[in-house]
Amino acid sequence: MDIDPSKILVRYNVQKEKAQTPEELAAEMYPKEEPARTIAAAIFDGEEDDVIEGLEKAIEGGADAIKLIDDVLMPGMKIVTDLYDQGVIFLPNVMMSADAMLEGIEFCKDQSGSVPKPKGKVVCHVAEGDVHDIGKTIVAALLRAAGYEVVDLGRDVPVDEVIAAVKKESPMMVTGTALMTTTMYAFKEINDRLLESGMKVPFQCGGGAVNQDFVTTYELGIYGEEAADAPKMAAAILSGKGLAQLKEMFHKH
Amino acid sequence: MVKRYTSQAYKAADDMVFGKSVYPVKSELGLEVGAGYVTAEVNYAPRPEAGVSKEKLVSEYRRLTTDILARAVQIGFPAISLETEHVEQMTNNPTWGGEIAHVQKTILEEYHEEYGIKCGLRHTPGDIREDRDLLALIGPKYDKLMESFEAVADGGADFLSIETMGGKEILDYSVLRNDVPGFIYSIGCLGGMDMEMIWTDIRKIADKKGRIAAGDTDCAQANTAMFIAGGLLDKNLAHTLAIIARTIAASRTLVGYEAGAQGPGKDCGYENTIVKSITGCPIAQEGKTATCAHADVMGNLTMQVCDLWSNESVEYHGEFGGTSVQCWSQTLSMDAALMNVATETGNAKLLRDMFMLSDRYRDPQGYILAYDNAYKIGSAIVKDGNDLYLRAKNAAIETVNLLTAADNKKLVMSKFELNALADAKAALEALTDETDTFMSDCLEKYKAEEPRFKPEANYKF
Ligand code: B12
Repeated sequence: MDIDPSKILVRYNVQKEKAQTPEELAAEMYPKEEPARTIAAAIFDGEEDDVIEGLEKAIEGGADAIKLIDDVLMPGMKIVTDLYDQGVIFLPNVMMSADAMLEGIEFCKDQSGSVPKPKGKVVCHVAEGDVHDIGKTIVAALLRAAGYEVVDLGRDVPVDEVIAAVKKESPMMVTGTALMTTTMYAFKEINDRLLESGMKVPFQCGGGAVNQDFVTTYELGIYGEEAADAPKMAAAILSGKGLAQLKEMFHKH
Repeated sequence: MVKRYTSQAYKAADDMVFGKSVYPVKSELGLEVGAGYVTAEVNYAPRPEAGVSKEKLVSEYRRLTTDILARAVQIGFPAISLETEHVEQMTNNPTWGGEIAHVQKTILEEYHEEYGIKCGLRHTPGDIREDRDLLALIGPKYDKLMESFEAVADGGADFLSIETMGGKEILDYSVLRNDVPGFIYSIGCLGGMDMEMIWTDIRKIADKKGRIAAGDTDCAQANTAMFIAGGLLDKNLAHTLAIIARTIAASRTLVGYEAGAQGPGKDCGYENTIVKSITGCPIAQEGKTATCAHADVMGNLTMQVCDLWSNESVEYHGEFGGTSVQCWSQTLSMDAALMNVATETGNAKLLRDMFMLSDRYRDPQGYILAYDNAYKIGSAIVKDGNDLYLRAKNAAIETVNLLTAADNKKLVMSKFELNALADAKAALEALTDETDTFMSDCLEKYKAEEPRFKPEANYKF
């Protein structure tokens, strides 16, 4: 027995697919000049060795290693995250590109012996009692890829430890991930303890169990629907948005 | 060393049907699984507030168990099975799990005595062998886990199950990087090795206590891949890769049976159709009735050859139609009734094929898990049944071959899925045929890349 499936289901993903391939779309976005173009392509392909090779050439040609980070590596990575946001490429490509770009940053740091100033610092964690950390890993990777310094506290992180890290690191924002309805209540406690200590840090919370209705029950909470919202919120904070504006931006109802 | 499967229990895919297995198993209270009829397997989770003390948890399980049985006799179902997936406290405190099993079994006995309803009880301790920073597969947590199995067996659980996590530290890394050789290593090799250890011991406990070592699922890895792949429009993992992880998982879940499991296999093991084609042991499955717990693209297909039909998990709370467990157990049991009608009227294969065709072309995952293709994956696994690496690799290659050969007017794949498939094919073709080479290459690679990987401590390398 067999069937013509066209009457019983629709493969919307196939229908929606762009005519151009991701490679073609990316190529249109690469910078025109060299070596930025070659390095951007190497980042897109997730080829660490090619990224380093391109950087070596650029430095030989007189480029400043630290400036290469901002002028070449970050814009190259932005092409990748933009295409991910548009739904053209998939997450593993972003992860592999981020790996390659981060290697490039390390290389530039070694070459110059100085440390570039990151855009800002973010503390990431998974709620106490919860080991579901893949979403958090994605959030951390996308933040790093966007040029933020990430203090990744890992999973199953006690409230005390989050508070201590915020005191120590003074981050621009904190992220929390919870996939279980039993663990997400820790976010409220973190909120209360932060407020008690007078630390009004935006606290973006996401993960399978978390929803906007829950997050709006505590003052510092801003709901994050998908991982890509984390670098977006960090950028919004940099541009001067306060808690109320962030909520307006990221809350759907 | 365990005896590996080098042939399949079924001569042909068409011999497989729901409700029937080659080797049925029987619970204490008369439920036969895979003996000619399908039974509902109801799953539930306590409300978060109930976890605060042992007393509250026990009372939560007492209430929900009674609710389920009360509904089953009200509507006239001949049989029902329950699965209790432990919350962490129940496994970490083996006496809790044991007492809850006992309380539940006592209720089942009362109903069985009064109404003659056939009942089964599965307990699934949580795989607690995970520390905050790493897996600790062997050591005190393992011993605690075995204590938990002893306790639930003593308490009266008929079927002993677990969702083990061996290999997960590498899968978590490779699944975010399209790393198909990493799938083979983490799921097929590391997962297989851990399965052999743990299921050998579970079987010993089952034998000692007169219970049934039921089966495992690759929830920790293949379901992680399936969920990350998500729906049609999600952009986190190609569905062609998710199904490769799944077929590799069949080789891994099979190890449980090689080490002594007898079925029913665990509900969320979507690899179970493949496994059943090899072992002939009964399986539980979930699909559209598990939408209370997650969404996937194969709601009907998974019924095709199931023996128990499950809802994965639902929080215990009120609904308009009763408590959640009552609503879901009734839905499951009505599905089972329909399948059993098909069997009684000689239409089982027709209904099976209708279930299968409803999802066969929805997605590459459904296409491969359709029982005829699943059977072919089973054949590829047993061809090199004695070698965990080769058989996992065979499963992956056969998946790629079947997808490549599919009628592209019916199974329409996106360019993205096709590209991922082409990359997977290239990666698979580049793989060695030498198990030792593969194992030592991977050991070196992942030791360097994944700090959480502790090969000596966890896999006795
Ligand atoms: C994979 C998985 C596991 C894996 C986890 C592997 C890992 N390293 O993470 C393993 C096997 C270990 C596991 C274990 C358990 N699991 Co589990 N698991 C899942 C599963 C199938 C998928 C979760 C997942 O990884 N999704 C993919 C990721 C990418 O999604 P995500 O984290 O939500 O992140 C996305 C967004 O939410 C967002 N995001 C996340 N965080 C943040 C933060 C910010 C700031 C922003 C902006 C965005 C953002 O970004 C991501 C992508 O865009 C779910 C099923 C489901 N329906 O979700 C169950 C599920 C979460 N597990 C569940 C359970 C019960 C368990 C166990 C208790 C089972 C047991 N009995 O042992 C244990 C828990 C152990 C513990 N103490 O934590 C339940 C939870 C039910 C509940 N109480 O709410 C679920 C819902 C399954 C179910 N239906 O019953 N599980």
